[in-house]
Amino acid sequence: MTAAVLDPHEVQIGRRQALAQARALAQRSIRGTLRQPQVWLPGLLFPMFLAAVNTSTMGKAVEFLPGFEDVDSLLDFLLPASITQSVLFGGLTAGSDTATDIQTGFFDRLLASPVSRTSILVGRLAGASVTGAFQAVVFMLVYGAFGVRVAAGLPGAVLLIAYAMVLALVIGGFAAMLALKTGSAEAVQNVFPLTFILLFISSAFFPTDSMSGIYESVASRNPVTWMVDGMRHQVTVGLDWSEAAVSIAVAAALATMAIFGAQRALQARLRRAA
Amino acid sequence: MSHPIEAEGLVRRFGDLVAVDGVDLVVEQGEIFGFLGPNGAGKSTLVRMLATLLRPSGGRARVAGYDVVAEAGAVRRSIGVALQDAAIDPLMTGRELVRLQAVLHGISRSDADRRGDVLLARVGLTAAADRRVGTYSGGMRRRLDLALSLVHEPTVLFLDEPTTGLDPTSRLALWEEVRRLNGEGTTVFLTTQYLEEADELAGRIAIIDGGRIVREGDPEVLKGAVGAHTLVVAVPADQEAKATDVLSAFGEDRAAKAGSVAIGLTGGPAALSGALRALEDAGVSVEHVELDAPSLDDVFADATGRRLEGAEAGEVVA
Repeated sequence: MTAAVLDPHEVQIGRRQALAQARALAQRSIRGTLRQPQVWLPGLLFPMFLAAVNTSTMGKAVEFLPGFEDVDSLLDFLLPASITQSVLFGGLTAGSDTATDIQTGFFDRLLASPVSRTSILVGRLAGASVTGAFQAVVFMLVYGAFGVRVAAGLPGAVLLIAYAMVLALVIGGFAAMLALKTGSAEAVQNVFPLTFILLFISSAFFPTDSMSGIYESVASRNPVTWMVDGMRHQVTVGLDWSEAAVSIAVAAALATMAIFGAQRALQARLRRAA
Repeated sequence: MSHPIEAEGLVRRFGDLVAVDGVDLVVEQGEIFGFLGPNGAGKSTLVRMLATLLRPSGGRARVAGYDVVAEAGAVRRSIGVALQDAAIDPLMTGRELVRLQAVLHGISRSDADRRGDVLLARVGLTAAADRRVGTYSGGMRRRLDLALSLVHEPTVLFLDEPTTGLDPTSRLALWEEVRRLNGEGTTVFLTTQYLEEADELAGRIAIIDGGRIVREGDPEVLKGAVGAHTLVVAVPADQEAKATDVLSAFGEDRAAKAGSVAIGLTGGPAALSGALRALEDAGVSVEHVELDAPSLDDVFADATGRRLEGAEAGEVVA
């Protein structure tokens, strides 16, 4: 059996070798992220800081505002939002690191090796996904120290981790696509405000029941709302497979689109070189 | 058996720009082939085509016996490539990068570790193997780059301006390693803009200018074909015409930098005193004199009418 490759002139690479290449490149991606605390630490600290500010200024809102009926504390409500925010922030690294590889010539080094072109992308996104899992675990541990318990128990915690991993593929895939199209780390970083807009016009920080007008209309159609609400249910209410399925299915659909886009961008880049 | 590198009518266009314009090339087994030319001449474009990173717009090429377009994967398995600017991830250690490169070439972990140790020792990086590459000097990066390109024991090695930006000591160390590799049978294709580098390392050279090969052959033969020593005389700007006129009796005019007049001194070193005396008799103020044995710079000048940047200093006689 051989793995599919993107370059029509590439000698077919065995699946086992392609997997070994992808694993090695994923390890490189994870190492690279971990060795840059200035990259991942803000992605952890900023959502925590925002959650701390929100709970201290609006903590009592859960007692009377619509949409908070199932919520014991605002921090419970914010756990999925914080994970989403952190992963959206961190996932951009997959794109900016890819762009840096292109800018420094490391990408050419990979292309001059008999490496499956798919492995280059898979390795980068797998690294981002593992980093997403790490972020979810950190948030559950830290928020757990402040009394947050995932109502769905261990299965709920596993679902949150799985959600973070798929969400990392979404943002990582889009960021990698942009990196492969532009070759510019700056262009990837410029997407950062867009992730904030998506996050804030969603139910991440406020339930849609407490919104009105166009804001509510946009938020209720925002995929971030669909993803966050499904995960929030596991935290505040309890295990609900159908809610979880909606959340992860939306993320998976977006991830599929993002990865497809990144793969097309990689093919286009290879064609441009050709 | 075919040659390690063969190119026939190789062309690469970028829009209207023809970067490589019909290059024919044959590199013999086990030689160091120097590819010499100024910045922008087409050296790196040619290397990128031969290393399968860029598809030719025309012509064809075979490397290690494989077609660079139709059999690109097989070419990649057979070649080692160290591109310009040593593209190395600064966040990884030297040892991690060697392991990664080995995995990309399908080498087992145990073999990769063993070969990595040997290669890192060979390029003098054992002590620094577990340090992040971001802490390496330019010379160390180049040596690691060389080690990475050798992980899979390639039969053909492409070195694209491997010593650009290096200090003299690092440059000499790299030259020594290239010679050693070649002594072990590796065919080396070396691009450089340094005349001295091509002269020191290459058994044969090609000079490229404007995307075309303008000279090719044994450096000594090429230099011999240029003929006479070059006499370069620096004179005040207002006396250049007079100096040119006087010196025309001693040999043919050659390309020179502004403020200098150059000729091929027909009588060689023996004619030098006569030429200087003639200048003095004509009232030309000589500011500086050089008498250079034929060099690759002369070969380049003879072929293109221009001097290469960074030509080595000549023999100063006054």
